[in-house]
Amino acid sequence: MSPVFPMLTVLTMFYYICLRRRARTAARGEMMDSHRTIESNSRTSSLNAEVVQYAKEVLDFSSHYGGENSMSYTMWNLAGVPSVFPSSGDFTQTAVFRTYGTWWDQCPSASLPFKRTPPNFQSQDYVELTFEEQVYPTAIHILETYHPGAVIRILACSANPYSPGPPAEVRWEILWSERLTKVNASQARQFKPCIKQINFPTNLIRLEVNSSLLDYYTELDAVVLHGMKDKPMLSLSTSLIDMNDLEEDDYEENDGCGMDNLNQNFSNAALREGSNNGYFDKLPCELIQLILSHLTLPDLCRLAQTCKLLNQHCCDPLQYIHLNLQPYWAKLNDTSLEFLQTRCTLIQWLNLSWTGNRGFISVAGFSRFLKVCGSELVRLELSCSHFLNETCLEVISEMCPNLQDLNLSSCYKLPPQAFSHIAKLCSLKRLVLYRTKIEQTALLSILNFCSELQHLSLGSCIMIEDCDVIASMIGAKCKKLRTLDLWRCKSFTENGIAELASGCPLLEELDLGWCSTLQSSTGCFIRLARQLPNLQKLFLTANRSVCDTDIEELASNCTRLQQLDILGTRMVSLASLRRLLESCKDLSLLDVSFCSQIDNRAVLELNASFPKVYIKKSFTQ
Amino acid sequence: MAAAAAAAAGTPVGLSSVLSYGRLVARAVLGGLSQTDPRAGGGGGGDYGLVTAGCGFGKDFRKGLLKKGACYGDDACFVARHRSADVLGVADGVGGWRDYGVDPSQFSGTLMRTCERLVKEGRFVPSNPIGILTTSYCELLQNKVPLLGSSTACIVVLDRTSHRLHTANLGDSGFLVVRGGEVVHRSDEQQHYFNTPFQLSIAPPEAEGVVLSDSPDAADSTSFDVQLGDIILTATDGLFDNMPDYMILQELKKLKNSNYESIQQTARSIAEQAHELAYDPNYMSPFAQFACDNGLNVRGGKPDDITVLLSIVAEYTD
Repeated sequence: MSPVFPMLTVLTMFYYICLRRRARTAARGEMMDSHRTIESNSRTSSLNAEVVQYAKEVLDFSSHYGGENSMSYTMWNLAGVPSVFPSSGDFTQTAVFRTYGTWWDQCPSASLPFKRTPPNFQSQDYVELTFEEQVYPTAIHILETYHPGAVIRILACSANPYSPGPPAEVRWEILWSERLTKVNASQARQFKPCIKQINFPTNLIRLEVNSSLLDYYTELDAVVLHGMKDKPMLSLSTSLIDMNDLEEDDYEENDGCGMDNLNQNFSNAALREGSNNGYFDKLPCELIQLILSHLTLPDLCRLAQTCKLLNQHCCDPLQYIHLNLQPYWAKLNDTSLEFLQTRCTLIQWLNLSWTGNRGFISVAGFSRFLKVCGSELVRLELSCSHFLNETCLEVISEMCPNLQDLNLSSCYKLPPQAFSHIAKLCSLKRLVLYRTKIEQTALLSILNFCSELQHLSLGSCIMIEDCDVIASMIGAKCKKLRTLDLWRCKSFTENGIAELASGCPLLEELDLGWCSTLQSSTGCFIRLARQLPNLQKLFLTANRSVCDTDIEELASNCTRLQQLDILGTRMVSLASLRRLLESCKDLSLLDVSFCSQIDNRAVLELNASFPKVYIKKSFTQ
Repeated sequence: MAAAAAAAAGTPVGLSSVLSYGRLVARAVLGGLSQTDPRAGGGGGGDYGLVTAGCGFGKDFRKGLLKKGACYGDDACFVARHRSADVLGVADGVGGWRDYGVDPSQFSGTLMRTCERLVKEGRFVPSNPIGILTTSYCELLQNKVPLLGSSTACIVVLDRTSHRLHTANLGDSGFLVVRGGEVVHRSDEQQHYFNTPFQLSIAPPEAEGVVLSDSPDAADSTSFDVQLGDIILTATDGLFDNMPDYMILQELKKLKNSNYESIQQTARSIAEQAHELAYDPNYMSPFAQFACDNGLNVRGGKPDDITVLLSIVAEYTD
């Protein structure tokens, strides 16, 4: 009996963690209702006037549909008063993210998800908004004008972006979050989540979205922040509820962005030596490791404090082969990296996307970490990591010789010269440079040396002057290229297509959306169709010249096509689409929005004959 | 002309109410646009502003005449203010696109609405009115909707602090600056040949190169120092083709003070008179005169959409 006992204790602790979380998740619904009472209470009882403000500026965001020098479909449209609401539809004046649904996860360029991602972290994109005045938020209204339901989390920051000098403390608090749920309406709505009260005033709000359940791009028109200038007085009933809030708070601390605890846990790792671990001593290490591999990072750190054996296992570098720190962006800092450093000597995949902003991670801290842990690194995600500078890229290129996968999307603060260091990473297979300031020279040298490249994203890279030169280098050097994203590339012509099509026969995915310099009359799309029979995804978004001949050529040559976007052409008829759908049996996404020959009746007709294909037809009013 | 437009409604209505009011008034083409009034009181630091009223007539009534924004037939216009400047503009959609099944007012209307948005969001430099045109034109291409059409355009910007009027004009719309009953500054008309003005356009791919298309940079840009009390009349060719300068000046003489109501009234009477002359078969209009000069035997007015924006330079307080 006695040897079983300690083992039971440990197992109990292990399950306690899981159970506790589940119980709290269930209780959240009720909590929501109590928040509603807080809100109404504080409004009526307080003399403190409520301030209502629209967003003043859009500070930062992870992606958008619009162009960098434009005001159509860009995130910047989220600032100011609404311009579309209460109308519904697809309007240029709104803020639109880059993707929707699971289409981008299904194409060849999609990368594998990280293991050990906490289930409550589902954010895919974010946008940060500033407001004129700091307030204690009482309500946030989001005016969604098209396919609502993407916002899943709202956070407030204690730092005032308009105050001169660095803030004393930068703290993020979750005001509201919800698990992903399908919203079936596509009509405009004013979304009014019941937000939690916080004990600091804020004028920096962050929305996090997940568009994976949406049928089309979500469009946001404006955000309204209601709040009190002075801290609202709490009545008796509300302070009772406030106790629950602490509990809730604890929950978020641990699992939402709980790096504080993590850091504490790292530090008091000294444990008394136990004599006997019971049956745990008999369990094969592999099995324990397997069990541990299902824990989230904070849970792993907590478990490390239970006993010496589990501490050993929890600190085993094998547990940190894949490390996703993105869910903890709000708290992750130099100290956390330093603590993790000793455990990450074998790390291969590292996700630091969204982390380190506002001084949380320093160049020195990042460099130290990579010097110890970079040698085995294969994949490094650094999307929106604005702490990066040229030195960081230099360190990456020196310390991570095995790097195959580098994501720098939306690192628009990186200076152009920083990118030249990437050329030293000659085993790179995937490089994402979406919305960066990379210039032609740096890119040419990268392409010259990284001949293993299979996936390249150059979407919205506005500093590239002549994309044809880039295409010709790709055609000459990157023979293995499978996917290429040239979304909103302003200088891509038929010459570039010719070089690409003859040089990269393995191309499976090509995004040429908004490349307005491509003209169908030059025969470029016909060439594309004839020379790239493996194409699975082709986006020709807003190319006004795509015509029936192009569609017919795609139908006869690219029979593996799964996704096709020909939004905004007047020259494609129902007959050619029918032919395409008949010959491309794998086709699952077809966007014919704003194709003037394809009206709603035509879409209904096609839907009836090809029920498996998602045919998208967006509208404005 | 078969369906002549009814007289303009007299009430001065704001731009936003034009939208809601539009359907009710059905056949009547609304007079009155937006009001950029300098609220009473002395100008802080001597900044200038424009008090602007508008009026117009569509050539004939078509379904969907009054859409979002202000459209008179294929004409469109906007009046917008920003803390650094007052900006207004007119655009005349080229009617020939109707034969292609394209509503010409869609292009001019979207162009003006985009200009208005740029100004309201402060994405412009007062001294560079061509920049407003260029950016708007680029934005039209950024629309998911495949727009087609072409339009002339005239943009007038009053820089509040420098008291300079910066203008950009592409095509045969235009403006006059009147001081003490005389024209002291005006736009130049830009035409490729008779009755074919310079124009911004987006052509269908198959007609690229066939359709006339001028770059926004081709616009004629001027700068002019204005004084308090200067009258600025901005209008499409529907006005200038039917009313010679002396008639316009005669009407402007009746304008005694710079409150919105009297400006509105004058704008309306100018537009009404031009509208009447346009349908007078015996009147020798400036257009007919110009046609005769070009060897065409034409008499009478020129039935066309007419848009008139009348502004007075006044002191500005925020």
